[in-house]
Amino acid sequence: MDRIWWRFFSGFLAMASFVASSTPIFEATQPRGLDFTHQNSPTPQKYLIETMGGGVALLDYNNDGLLDIFLVNSGKLTSPMPTPENFSRHQPLYWNRLLRQDRDGSFTDVTAAAGLSNAGDGNYGMGVAVGDYDNDGYPDVYVTSYGKNILYHNNGNGTFTDVTAKAGVAGGGWSVSAGFFDYDNDGKLDLFVTRYMDWDFKHSKTCGGEWHTYCPPEEFPATTNILYHNNGDGTFTDVSQQSGIAAKKGRALGVAFADYDEDGFTDIFVANDGMQQYLFHNNGNGTFTERGLEAGAALSEDGRRLSGMGVVFQDYDNDGRPDIIVTELPREIYGVYHNEGGGSFSYRSLETGLGMLSSGSSGWGVGLEDFDNDGWKDLFVAQGHVLDNVEQIDPSLRYREMPLLAINQRGRFQKSDAGVNSPVVGRGAAFGDLNNDGWQDVVMTVLGGRPQVFLNHGGKQHWLIVNLRGTRSNRDGLGARVRVNGQTRIATTAGSYLSASDKRLHFGLGPAGTAKVEILWPSGTRQTLSDVHADQILEIREPERP
Amino acid sequence: MIGALLFLFLAAQSPSPEVLQHMQAGAEAEKNRRFEVAIAEFRKVTELEPMVPSGFVSLGQAYLENHDYSGAILPLKQALKLDPDLLPAHRLLGYALLAQGHSAEALPHLEKAQDAAALGIAQLESGQLQEAVTNLQAALAKHPNDPDLLYYFGRASGLLSKQSIDTLLATYPDSARAHQAMAENYYVLRQMPQAEKEFQQAIGLRPEMPKLHLELGLVYAGTSQWPKAEEAFRAETKLQPGNAEAAYRLGHALLQEGRIPEARAELVRADKLQPEMPETLYSLGKAASLSGDNASAEKAWLKVVEIEKESDLAAQAHFALAALYRKQGKTEDEEREMAKFKQLQHTAAPP
Repeated sequence: MDRIWWRFFSGFLAMASFVASSTPIFEATQPRGLDFTHQNSPTPQKYLIETMGGGVALLDYNNDGLLDIFLVNSGKLTSPMPTPENFSRHQPLYWNRLLRQDRDGSFTDVTAAAGLSNAGDGNYGMGVAVGDYDNDGYPDVYVTSYGKNILYHNNGNGTFTDVTAKAGVAGGGWSVSAGFFDYDNDGKLDLFVTRYMDWDFKHSKTCGGEWHTYCPPEEFPATTNILYHNNGDGTFTDVSQQSGIAAKKGRALGVAFADYDEDGFTDIFVANDGMQQYLFHNNGNGTFTERGLEAGAALSEDGRRLSGMGVVFQDYDNDGRPDIIVTELPREIYGVYHNEGGGSFSYRSLETGLGMLSSGSSGWGVGLEDFDNDGWKDLFVAQGHVLDNVEQIDPSLRYREMPLLAINQRGRFQKSDAGVNSPVVGRGAAFGDLNNDGWQDVVMTVLGGRPQVFLNHGGKQHWLIVNLRGTRSNRDGLGARVRVNGQTRIATTAGSYLSASDKRLHFGLGPAGTAKVEILWPSGTRQTLSDVHADQILEIREPERP
Repeated sequence: MIGALLFLFLAAQSPSPEVLQHMQAGAEAEKNRRFEVAIAEFRKVTELEPMVPSGFVSLGQAYLENHDYSGAILPLKQALKLDPDLLPAHRLLGYALLAQGHSAEALPHLEKAQDAAALGIAQLESGQLQEAVTNLQAALAKHPNDPDLLYYFGRASGLLSKQSIDTLLATYPDSARAHQAMAENYYVLRQMPQAEKEFQQAIGLRPEMPKLHLELGLVYAGTSQWPKAEEAFRAETKLQPGNAEAAYRLGHALLQEGRIPEARAELVRADKLQPEMPETLYSLGKAASLSGDNASAEKAWLKVVEIEKESDLAAQAHFALAALYRKQGKTEDEEREMAKFKQLQHTAAPP
C-alpha cells in the first residue's frame, strides 16, 4: 500500500515540477520608447562583417538608479564598397542609440542630446564596453567597430565627449568584444579589445560554391588583440607587445575576466573562432602567459578546436571558483570548463546537461545569472546561425533560433521556456535588473532587427543586489570577488558577446531573509558584512584602509 | 617482347638480310620512340614476309604506341588470321578495340589473353558489371595500389550497386528495402529529413528488420537529436542484443545526453560483445572518467593508444589522458600525453 501511494505521489510531484518549469520566467517585451532596429545591410557579396553585429550595454549613465540601454548599430554597406569605406553613420538610421530609462519603465532616445550621434562614417559598429576609467563615478562607454573604435567619456551631466584621440585607444582593423578591467591592481581600469581577423573589403570573398555563403574564419589570417594600460591621466598606452598579449594571434570574438587561480591578479579568457581558446594568465608583473591548453580550457573534451563566440567567466556550481562557459556553432556543444582549483579546468559540457541543450544551436551572447533567485546561476544564450542560408545547406539547422534559457539545478542545466514565441537571429546579450525589482532581466540584440527585452516575472524568493564602490580599488570594484550566502560572483561588466552588463552584482537568496556578504577587493582588502537584510540594492564602500 | 618474338621467329625462318635490316631498324626506332619510322620499317617486314604473323603483331604494336588505334586493328587481325592462337595479338587487338570504344568486340580477345585488368574494363564498358567487378578485383589483388585499377573497380562496384538498387526500386517500390535504399541515399547526401522519413517508412513495413533502427539512429545522431537517436539505437539493441555497434551507438547517445551511468553500462556491454574496438574504448573511458572512475578511464584510453597509433582517435585519447593526469596532479604524465597529442594533431587533425 505504501509503495503504491509513494509511486502515485512521486508521479504527482514530477507533474507539478513540469508545470512549474513550464511557466516562463520572462516576458519578452518591447518597452515604450525602445525604438531601434539594427542595420547590418546584408549584401550579395556576403561581407563577413554583416553577420557579426551588434552589441548592447546596460548602464546607468546618469546615476539616477535606473539602467539605461546603449545599442550599437552597424552601418550601410553597398556592393561594391567604395574606397575610402563609408558606412553612412552620420545618417540617423545608422546611429548607435542611448535610450534613457524613465521612471515608468519606458525609454527616451537621448542619443543626440548625449553627444553620441557621431559614430564616424568609416566605422562599421560592432560592440560596446562600459567602465568608469577615470573613477569620476560616471560610466564611460567604449564602442568597437570595423574601422576605428571610440571612447566616449561621460561628462556627468548627461553628455559624453569623444576622447579617443587623446586617450589613444582607436585600435584599428576589426575590433569585436572589449572590456574594462584592472590587470595591475593600480585602481585604474585598463582596456582589452578583441580583434576577429585580418579582414578588409579588398580581401573579402565568398565561400560555399553554389550556396554562396559567408566564409569560415580559417579563410582569413589571424590577428592580435589589444591591451591598453590606463595611465591615470586620461590616456592609455598600448601594452599589447610588452605584456605578451600580442604574442598570440587568434580569431577572437569574446572576452571575459576573472582571477581563476586566486593569485590576486585578474586573468583573461578569449573566445576564439575555429581554433583553440586562449587563457591569458596574469603573471602579476604586467605580463601574461597563454595557458589555455595546459590549463585544460582550450579545446573540447576530444581535443578538437572550437568556434568560440561568446563567453562567461563566473562560478556556476557554487564552489567559489570562476568557471568558463563558451558558446559555439552547431555540432560543437557549448564548452563548460569547470575550475578545478590549482589553475586547471575540466570539461563538463556533458555532465552539466549543456551538451544536449546546445548541440544543434549557434550561441553568441551568454550570461550566468540567477533568474529564479534560488541561489544557483542560470544560463541565458542568444542564438542564431552565422549563415543566412544555412537551412538550404543543412536542413537540420536553423538560421533563426529561440534564445536558450537553462535553469541551473545544483550544477545541472535544464531547458526552460524563455518566454518567446518566434525565433530570431540573436547576437549580443546584456544582463541586469532593469526595474530594480530584484529579478534579473535580459536585453538581447537581433541581427538586422529590433532588440528583445526579457523582463523577469519575478516570484517569492529573496535577493540582494550589491553595488560596489571602490576606494583603493577601481571605483566600480571590477575584479572584486563577492561571496553571498555561499555563492560567488566576480564583479565585471564584460563577457557575453559584444556587450556590457550591469556592473551591480545580483544574488538570489532563495528563502533566506538575510545574507552574509564577503568581498575580496582587487586591492586585496577583505570585507565582511553579516546579517544583511535581503531584498535591497546595497552599496558597499571599500574600506579606505585594509 | 613482341620484338623479341619476331626476332626468334624470323631467326628460325632464316630471313633475308633485307628483312633483318628492316626488322632491326624498326626495333631501334621503336626503342627511340620514333613510331612513324617503326611503322614504316615493320610494314616493309610484313610486305617481305606476308605469311609471318609476328611481323603484323610488331606493326600493330607500333601503331598502338603511336596512339593510332584504328591503324593497329588491321595488322593485328591479319596476325590472328595467320595464327588464331597468338596471345600477344589477342591482347593488343583487345587493347586497340577497347581504345576505339568497341568494348564488346574486344572482350573475346582479352578473355583469350587472360588480361584481367583490361578485361574488367571492357566488361565495365559493356555493362557486364558483375564480371567486371570480379576481374578488376583479381587485377587489384596483383596490383593493389594501382590508381587506374582502383578507379575502375570503384566505378564498376558503384554502378553494380546502383543497378541493383534501380532494379529493387523498379520492381518493389513500396518495399521496406526500397525505402531503406532511398533513405541511405538521402543520408549520404545529408538530406536528413528525407532520410528520416524513408527509414521510418521502412520500419513501418518491417519493424523487425535488422539495421533499420540503427541507421535511423545515425540520422538523428547526425543532427544531434540525441533523445530520438537513443530511442532508435535502443530499438536496435532489442532486436539484436548481440550487436556491438548498436550497443556502442546507444552508449554514445546516452553519453551525449549526460546520462553517464546508463551510458557506461551500455558501453561496457558493447566492449564485451566486441572487445578492443577503439571507438567503444574511447567512449568507455569518457564515461568512466565522468563517473569519477579514473583508473578505468586510464585503462580504456591506454588501450586505445595501444591499438590506434597515429589516428585522430589516438590523438583524442592522448588529450583525454593528459586531462586525466592533470586532474590527478601527475604533471610529468600530463606533459608526455600532451606532447603526443600535439604531435598527432599535426598529422591527424585537419588544419
